[in-house]
Amino acid sequence: MELDDLKQSWQKTNKVESHDSDIIRLIQNKNYGPVAALKKAFKKQIKLMIIVPFIIFFTNIDRVDRVLTSIMFWSYIAFCIGLITFSWFNYQMVKRMESMDGMVKANLEQQIATLQSRLKWKITGVRIALLYFILLAEVMPYFQHYSMLDKWHSLSLAVRLAAYVGFLLLQYFISTVVSHRKYGKHLLYLKQLANEMQ
Amino acid sequence: MQTQETEKQFEKLIKENELLVFKVCRMYAYTNADRKDLFQEIVLQLWKAHPKFKGESKFSTWLYRVAINTAITSLRKEKRFITSYEPEALPENIREENNSDVEEEQLQQLYTAIEQLTQIEKAIVMLYMEDKSYDEMEDILGITTGNLRVKMNRIKEKLRQLTKNN
Repeated sequence: MELDDLKQSWQKTNKVESHDSDIIRLIQNKNYGPVAALKKAFKKQIKLMIIVPFIIFFTNIDRVDRVLTSIMFWSYIAFCIGLITFSWFNYQMVKRMESMDGMVKANLEQQIATLQSRLKWKITGVRIALLYFILLAEVMPYFQHYSMLDKWHSLSLAVRLAAYVGFLLLQYFISTVVSHRKYGKHLLYLKQLANEMQ
Repeated sequence: MQTQETEKQFEKLIKENELLVFKVCRMYAYTNADRKDLFQEIVLQLWKAHPKFKGESKFSTWLYRVAINTAITSLRKEKRFITSYEPEALPENIREENNSDVEEEQLQQLYTAIEQLTQIEKAIVMLYMEDKSYDEMEDILGITTGNLRVKMNRIKEKLRQLTKNN
């Protein structure tokens, strides 16, 4: 079978019915693609991080003074601000992946670059968050006392350091596995496509 | 009011070019549900990209870019098995009509063979069958015309082998 012989019949392909494809209804529906899902997740994270500090504040309204002078509360606020900034940054990055009107090869290269940089930032972000909590756990007991942290500090420095190293290693292992499961396959697939276009 | 007007204009444009979108769906999706999903995703992407279309390229070129990009990057469901082309299983809005029985059979054979090509090869074959010039194909895919010619020859040979084996 020769491809050229079938060109004519391929082009003669005609639609029979088109009356029931409601384009207006289709464009009013929401996207369900992977980029749309990521955008939705980041939006949700931003909203949640804005709401949670207020919930903490209002559930402790009868102890406002204690809440406002609590290092733990302000550390949490700082963490939320960091996470909101990080999610917003990610949201903007992912938004760039939505543009689909470029040449296929350029679009693929852009998607690969964006995904790779998103992966790098995600791993860095989680590491920074973990280091932030380690720092808090070590520094906070010098300023304010919390029973859990005091108990933690009753352990020797060597044990605490070993636990922190363990946490960091576990984070490295989990991040690598989760990232590979979530994006690795898709990234590999995009790279294969891009290679094929060389 | 203006949004309604824009929606109407967009609807008209898509209706006029619906067959192109359908052909992309048929190339990249294997089940009825996947085709419907892909059709919707492509229309949504076209709607989003529509305000940016300034007429610098032909409308069909722009449409193919959006449709192929969406098809190869958004549809991540893995192909579970090779299915043959089933016109009766297509959604009503994208059912089609071909010519003689012989042509129909040959086309069916071709579609089955095409399913075994890679995503990029499928795009090249589709544009070739649509009689796009190599320059236009380069404008859509971003692959140089020289490279496209080489790839096209390889694909033709691959399809020849695939249809011979089937």
